[in-house]
Amino acid sequence: MSMEQLYQQRLKRYTTALKRGKPDRVPIRPFVAEFTAKVAGYTCQQVTQDFNLAFEAVIQSCRRFDWDAAVANMVYVWAGIPQAANLRYYAIPGVGLEPDVGFNYLEPPEDAAFMRADEYDALIKDPTGFLLNVWLPRVSRDVVTPGQPNTQRNNLAMLKGGMAVMSYFSAFPRQIQRMREEAGTVSAIAGILKAPLDILADKMRGYLGLCEDVIERPQKVRQACEALMPHLFHTALSSADPTKTVPIGLWLHRGCVPFISHDHFNALFWPTLKPIIEELWKRGHQTMFYAEGKWLPHLKAFGTLPEGSILFHCDRDDIFEVHRILGGRFPLSGGISNQLLAFGTPAEVREHVKKVIQGVAREGGYIADASAIVQNDATLENMQAMTQAVRDFGEY
Amino acid sequence: MPQDYPLAPAWPLQTAPGETIPWQEKLKELPPILGDEAIVKKVWQDVDGLAYMYIWQLLLSF
Repeated sequence: MSMEQLYQQRLKRYTTALKRGKPDRVPIRPFVAEFTAKVAGYTCQQVTQDFNLAFEAVIQSCRRFDWDAAVANMVYVWAGIPQAANLRYYAIPGVGLEPDVGFNYLEPPEDAAFMRADEYDALIKDPTGFLLNVWLPRVSRDVVTPGQPNTQRNNLAMLKGGMAVMSYFSAFPRQIQRMREEAGTVSAIAGILKAPLDILADKMRGYLGLCEDVIERPQKVRQACEALMPHLFHTALSSADPTKTVPIGLWLHRGCVPFISHDHFNALFWPTLKPIIEELWKRGHQTMFYAEGKWLPHLKAFGTLPEGSILFHCDRDDIFEVHRILGGRFPLSGGISNQLLAFGTPAEVREHVKKVIQGVAREGGYIADASAIVQNDATLENMQAMTQAVRDFGEY
Repeated sequence: MPQDYPLAPAWPLQTAPGETIPWQEKLKELPPILGDEAIVKKVWQDVDGLAYMYIWQLLLSF
């Protein structure tokens, strides 16, 4: 079989499952990040600092393992960008961190949040202006606030930040082509979406600040989420796969138990996320809910979305329960324990994969994957065991 | 200004999705356009859209 034939076979397998269909066998699509460095013999620093090495590590991993789909670079935060913009919120491997640990996101202390509690009106009026004029000068050590004396560092941060993003994004089409030509592997997702409330928590108010706001000023929080909605939709749509073959990635963070209450989920989180998903679906784009954490209490809400409009990725929930609630409406992925991939034995991994496939894949619509992004704690033997078990037990 | 984009809130946003400096605002700064206004507008919006993409990608992806 030629590489292109292999690619077409895998593409059909993956997309059939995305449509909740039953392909020839269960597709496997592990979201491998720092694990690829382990495969290629690189450190975390190397794949984080040099995206060409990260790309090469993905190619080597796809060649070594029989995976249907993977992400073109799951060590997505190329350190060149935060370094060019001199961002405050990253710790980069090899720079203040040991070279062989993954990058860290640093949430500022509550009193140094990147957006203050009294700034909601400015965000609500003009989200883009707020990002450029208030947020960016706070998250960058070099960018100055408009009206303040300009600096060479400011000019360079703006220039280098923009050029770095263009340089990085321009490299992806070739990487996706390499995956196809050199490994016969499908690029699994395209585009980015986050929930408005998650953006407020992750990058603006911080989790503690947001907790205060949902109690003290819930109307402002709701309006801020509504102001973000058209922008998040626009960014998701403009970065999505134009052929509408693979889903848009939605990375779910703080909307689940125990971070916010049911009331806040119902009043703030869900009403400002659901319309974005529906608008994307109207245009033919499926969204992957990468549901980090536990989302079981909210699955009924997700079940009100149009049938097939999402791929639900299961992290720490019981995938059998997820399948019982959502399996009739949406394809599922994940559910293979990362702890097991890191600390279990190949035999334990194999048995776990068998159980998951028998429990949730019988009628199709299941894509095998680890529960969470695979970092360098997973062992090569266990990843091989997972891959082989999907092949051995996943035949329809 | 009408908000003719999806998911627009009930109040007008100062800048619409995809733009940082609206074309109508930029147009006021330019000398009279004696040629094809459409191409000037298109190129302005295309390049302006890159700045928009940068700041929103920085927020969402990095």
